[in-house]
Amino acid sequence: MRESDPSDKELNSENNDLQTENPGSQDVSFAYQQTFDAKQADDGPCSLPSHLSEKELDNNGSSTCDNGVNIESADAQREATGLTTFEFPVPEEGPQTYVKKVKSELEGASDGNQTEYNSDGIEEPDPGDTNANAEHRECSPRVANAQFNSQDKSDPKGNEILEQRDTVVNRSLTAFSSTCNIEPVESSIIRVQSAVENGNMEGHRPYADSEGKIASLSAVDGVAASSNGRESFEEIEVVDSGLVKNGGLLKRDLFLEKQHQSEDDSSESWRKHKKHFFILSHAGKPIYSRYGDEHKLAGFAATLQAIMSFVENGGDRINYVRSGDHQVVFLVKGPVYLVSISSTNEPLRVLRRQLDLLHGQLLLILTRSLEKCFVKNANFDLRPLLGGTENVFSSLIHSFSWNFASFLSSYTCLPLSHTARQAAGAALQDIADKNLLFALLLSDSKVISLVGAQKASLHPDDIFLLSNFVSSSESFRNTESFSPICLPKYNSMTFLYAYIRYLDPDICLILITKNSDAFFHLKDCRARIEGFLMETHVLRDISNSVARGGLRVEELPGGDVSYTSAPRSRRMGDTKDSTITVKLKAGVGGTAGLWHFIYRCVYLDQYVASEFSSPLETPQAKKRLFRAYQSLYASIHGAPTGAHQMQYRRDGNFVLLAWSTSDFEFLAAFDPLAEKSSSITVCNRVCQWVRDMENDLFFIGGSPFNW
Amino acid sequence: MSELDTSVQLCIFDTSRGQSDGQELDKILFFYPSESPFSAQLSLIGLGEGIITFTKMFSPNAPCDIIDTEKRSHVFFQPEPDIWMILVIEKRKESGELGRTRALQAILMEAHGLFTLFYGSIRALLLNSPSGDVARSCLQAFLPDYISDVMTVKRLSMLSSHSGLQERGTIQMMALDRSTALEVQSVVDLLQSWFGSGRIHHTLLLFQDLLVSTTLPPEDAAHLYTYARMRLIPAAISTSSGGHSLKKVLSRANSSSVHLKASASDITAAGQRPSPADSSNHHSQFFTPRPLQHDKWWRDNDGFLVTDAWGVDAQGMSAITPTVWLQQSSQERMKLVAYQHKQLTVVMLISVMHLAPNADGSHVLRNQVLEKASNKLNALEDRLSKEWGGINANHVPGYRYLYVDYDSRVSKASPAGKIATLTKDSLLSLDKVRSEIDIAKGRCDGSGEAQPYELETCVRTRSNAWVVVRIRGNHELYLVLERASETLLLTAEATEKFSRRHCDGIFASD
Repeated sequence: MRESDPSDKELNSENNDLQTENPGSQDVSFAYQQTFDAKQADDGPCSLPSHLSEKELDNNGSSTCDNGVNIESADAQREATGLTTFEFPVPEEGPQTYVKKVKSELEGASDGNQTEYNSDGIEEPDPGDTNANAEHRECSPRVANAQFNSQDKSDPKGNEILEQRDTVVNRSLTAFSSTCNIEPVESSIIRVQSAVENGNMEGHRPYADSEGKIASLSAVDGVAASSNGRESFEEIEVVDSGLVKNGGLLKRDLFLEKQHQSEDDSSESWRKHKKHFFILSHAGKPIYSRYGDEHKLAGFAATLQAIMSFVENGGDRINYVRSGDHQVVFLVKGPVYLVSISSTNEPLRVLRRQLDLLHGQLLLILTRSLEKCFVKNANFDLRPLLGGTENVFSSLIHSFSWNFASFLSSYTCLPLSHTARQAAGAALQDIADKNLLFALLLSDSKVISLVGAQKASLHPDDIFLLSNFVSSSESFRNTESFSPICLPKYNSMTFLYAYIRYLDPDICLILITKNSDAFFHLKDCRARIEGFLMETHVLRDISNSVARGGLRVEELPGGDVSYTSAPRSRRMGDTKDSTITVKLKAGVGGTAGLWHFIYRCVYLDQYVASEFSSPLETPQAKKRLFRAYQSLYASIHGAPTGAHQMQYRRDGNFVLLAWSTSDFEFLAAFDPLAEKSSSITVCNRVCQWVRDMENDLFFIGGSPFNW
Repeated sequence: MSELDTSVQLCIFDTSRGQSDGQELDKILFFYPSESPFSAQLSLIGLGEGIITFTKMFSPNAPCDIIDTEKRSHVFFQPEPDIWMILVIEKRKESGELGRTRALQAILMEAHGLFTLFYGSIRALLLNSPSGDVARSCLQAFLPDYISDVMTVKRLSMLSSHSGLQERGTIQMMALDRSTALEVQSVVDLLQSWFGSGRIHHTLLLFQDLLVSTTLPPEDAAHLYTYARMRLIPAAISTSSGGHSLKKVLSRANSSSVHLKASASDITAAGQRPSPADSSNHHSQFFTPRPLQHDKWWRDNDGFLVTDAWGVDAQGMSAITPTVWLQQSSQERMKLVAYQHKQLTVVMLISVMHLAPNADGSHVLRNQVLEKASNKLNALEDRLSKEWGGINANHVPGYRYLYVDYDSRVSKASPAGKIATLTKDSLLSLDKVRSEIDIAKGRCDGSGEAQPYELETCVRTRSNAWVVVRIRGNHELYLVLERASETLLLTAEATEKFSRRHCDGIFASD
């Protein structure tokens, strides 16, 4: 639990409402737009409005496509989430309070103890209850300020806007009030509610993500989408009255909008998915499922739980089951069970690690204190606390088939000249103070520079999970946000607070602190960093590098090309042209049939990979190579007697070479007809070249982050 | 029963039985160790059935292969529809490594193959005796002997990593030069040319433990060869009693054979033929044969092998000739007669169908063989033993290898003594590589690709050994090279050389 969650959700709920209404009444949406536009005009940087307006626009623009609408709204939500996140500098409530809340929730929900709910419930959901807002705001003026100020220092405006919105859509109030809500119990309730709505909305996002990042998740659940608006609307109603009745109602139809949402374990299509992921509680309550509606899968989750507990009762623990093409892998993490069912032929080791990362992502959002909830109440339902984060998980799972970091347990850097990277590092160092734990400059999942407090080092997996968390949330893109997070490898028990701001669409600055009040301070820090990077033209260098893309095997000659001194003239646009030229010699790749390579520097925990180029352009080819690397890497490291030193593998698709030493690991893919001798020569040359270029390709010397 | 050793468990059950509550025990056809409490037996079957049902959801055509837990591995094999075998092996902390799933499944496959060789399919036994008693007593008579064979010191021998260069269920051939091969052929022709009640339908010739020739199709040949290696070859027959007379056999038979209360009619019904009426005359007690019982084969004075594992005839005068079921060729029941001269073992199969109802064709055959063929067989043995290169005949210096041709179920490998010189590291790495390939291969089979599967892998282990795998279609070659200084290129060259010389160039790169 992120304290901010509730607020997010509430905002989301607003959005939801908006959405809901949109399909039904265009007028309303227009009205919204106007409000937001107006707001925008006023606020300028106020991110919330802009999102909403975006959403509105999209809604209007893509009225034919329900999905689009949903997505957009979802994005908006996300953004809202972001907003709320930062809004919630979480004044009084530390993680503990959060836990408390959770507990209270627990009791309320599971025991069916409605009184609590009622008491809490009274205040928020009342539609149109502006007063409630006001009250809340009064309770925590600072919080409210924080929220709106961050966007635009004018509190009143924000309020106005909100009020406007409220009047238009009554329900949205809830959200707002929750944002302002300080009292733990109340907020918890609100959270539940918002979770409901979030669930709906979030479901769509992954698939339709406008960034195209998640493009591969192609299927879009049209049916669910079409009914989306209404559903969410109904749910809100449910929440209003449902709070009083029972938590059970809340759970119903929670995440209707997810991809393949209509499926469950009885549908053929659901069973045919190549890779399922499940998170469930040790009591068999579903927490997350990649496909299908968790609620409908309750029976299935119970089956999984039954299998695991059957074995556990025998004093044992189940690891995996293999049947033909399928592998079922089980992982127990305290009261949380993780299961994957896949027919992707990935090695066991890899699948276990993926489950581990999935668990890490869960911790990143909720910390290990979630386990206490289960100690208190075995039947605790975690889903409400995760409302709105489905996208984080689906994006993580998607990255298991494209991001090398998922199996290399290393991070990669944006190629950048040594001087530029040093300048970036200096900018981060500049803001050092004792409250700041880590400062990262990322370009998507690539590290530009990072600095950490003394004795604090950032584990590559934490970087991976954090960058996934940030990049999968649209809201972070457009606002400055302050979000509670947990770095599971650093300390899985406590919340830290991340200030997140995109300096430009490709560059994201993340400042992590232990101090929940540090928003404004970090905001200033960000301004300093941004200013510095601007002055020193580092931002421009970074953008250039992003546009240029990574290493290309066609351009790896005998080592005479220097990345920095002769930056390729290519920009994003050019790259596309270049593919044309490449196609002329399609299938050739680099010298000696080199198609792709990955070089991992062991002591730096970093890797560099070439771009996928000509013969590997189709998504299938990329995925095939990715999986082949994955199993090769697992094979090398899975040996019982220590890692293998070298492996050569040739099948119908590739020649793969893996080379593992104490300093570095090298994986390369060649044309299947490539000759051994020449490929070995090329590998040696590339390794040498990478070592020569170390300063530009890797982030070096930052390890003992001192300040 | 305080300390029941459960380090290895084997269970066979029929999911189509015992459907109603309270009848679950009826599913169980066999459980080892048999002293396990029913609760433990039911719990294992419950888990097995549960997982099978569960995995069928996702993989209807290939239900469960293995369940792996912290402490145990459960290996599944479905030999016949609805019939499952589960082998449970406790993991040992010290080794941490388990045999490959495929290799463990191969044990189950072999056990079932041998079982059907002697008793026919489990399903047929169940159909003939719906109560399941016959099937249970047959399994009970057979499997404990089998298990004791594959176990060494409470451990499946297969789990030793040495199995990486062995392939269970395949045949090892003796290399013959052309003229010897012709001579073998002429002997076989001679044996099979006789008509009448002693007509030989199939033969299987072994020199020591190597197959010289057979007329059986690959699968049956593999089963019978396995059995011959286990019990019939000179090294395997009972040595305790040179020149055993049948009298001794009889006395032993009465004392040591298992008397399982399966009536003769049940057994033969499962087989076929005689009416229940005529068998009830003599024996109220009938042997469920124990084909794998140790020390149950002797070489008679005339060179023929005899056993009382199948019991003795009504008069108590002679042992009953063993019968086998051929699965692949004719689904026929055959009498098994074996003749041995020094290192040469000849297994002859006579069709039961062509025998007069109560005649034992083996007497006729014995005479024929002794009269007309023994000289030739003796000469052949002579020639083979000259040609035989010794136990290290298959050794190729510098290489430790296994070459398998799955089409004909023939394998060729470095002699066990030489494999044992490899370091444990290399063998474990080989095992690891093989298990990865098993999985990849299984996947390829499933996808039904028209192209033959092709793969080449060279792995340099931590201890500088090279493990090389070449696969082309149904031909597989595994090599371990422990020459530390080799580079990948030299290794590839060495592999190429080996393939040209010893595998007919099947794996040549071009």
